[in-house]
Amino acid sequence: MTDGLEILAQTVITGNLVLVHGLGLYALTRYTKNVKEAACAGGTVLAGMLVGSVLLWLFGSLIPAAPALQVGFYLLIGLVAGLITPSLLKQEAAAERRAVDSALVGLLLLLGREGITGVYNIWMALGAGLGYLLVLVVMATIRRRLELAPIPKPLRGMPILLITAGLLTIALLGFRF
Amino acid sequence: MKAFWEGLWTKNPVLVLALGLVPAVAATTTAANGLALGLITAVILVIAAFINWLLVPHVPDNARTAVKLLVLIVLVVAAYSVLLGQNPAMVSSLGIFLPLIAFSDLLLHQGEGTDGLTQVVLGACGRGLGFTAVLLVLGIIREFLGFGSIFGQQIVEGALPPLALAASVPGGMVVLGLLMAFVNLVSKRGGELHD
Repeated sequence: MTDGLEILAQTVITGNLVLVHGLGLYALTRYTKNVKEAACAGGTVLAGMLVGSVLLWLFGSLIPAAPALQVGFYLLIGLVAGLITPSLLKQEAAAERRAVDSALVGLLLLLGREGITGVYNIWMALGAGLGYLLVLVVMATIRRRLELAPIPKPLRGMPILLITAGLLTIALLGFRF
Repeated sequence: MKAFWEGLWTKNPVLVLALGLVPAVAATTTAANGLALGLITAVILVIAAFINWLLVPHVPDNARTAVKLLVLIVLVVAAYSVLLGQNPAMVSSLGIFLPLIAFSDLLLHQGEGTDGLTQVVLGACGRGLGFTAVLLVLGIIREFLGFGSIFGQQIVEGALPPLALAASVPGGMVVLGLLMAFVNLVSKRGGELHD
């Protein structure tokens, strides 16, 4: 249990998938126009990560030995998790695009690379998903303030969003040392 | 040729459409990584565009995302297998970002217009080259700021600690944001999200 909580704390903040690993930037730039949209996208990907980790736990014994096939296996698990999650959440078909996210597949590939198996998969997925949700909601809040700030025209929109996300990450990196 | 130039510059996937941001930010810590990942993505993009042009019109709307992703997964696994045999060091250096090409928004969110094959392939070539060019430029800037070298050739000895952050993910976000702002300044664009 203590190990699980430690993993959870690490993946939410200091090992955040979006800010530290640079995954899920499509969602960060597209679904943060308001807090409700960010929470919805974050919740969908959190559910997708949990579904993916459960699938990985269930089918872990089928992981092929060949490295290229292993990669294919993780990608297929990501695809299945991304496609069935909107149905499980009873969301509309368009939500598929939200659920099929690089953060979800990146998490599964990281789990494979680190050799994390069993119930720890689920702790990692929960932490990564909560971290993802947190970042999206925080960015949506910051974005509202940025809209009112006097920003030079070339920096408006995507550039200032990326620079802000970068500075937020540098601040979070402070917790690592 | 209009589709080609649009992909390369006026609708550059990274700088204008803000697609493919994950590899642009996370995998361009060195110029070699940026160039390699850009070229691999470009080749897969062109092949996938051709296969999708053949397949997608015959697939029901609700199954298109799944079919597109399956095509990409097959192509990426094939590319991974070939590269692992030819250059395992590069595969190791690119890490999870090589297999992640299969779920790249750059490939997933490309249009499904009713254009002819030439138009589709030229558009994919333009987008692929535009993407590669941006990854290469980012890789050069970040490697120089972070390690004082370009393509592994030491240009300046040592690196200033604050600039070394350019080689990290947050540094990548800041460098890409500044590059986008510079392009906006030059092209007199900016002020909104180009999606």
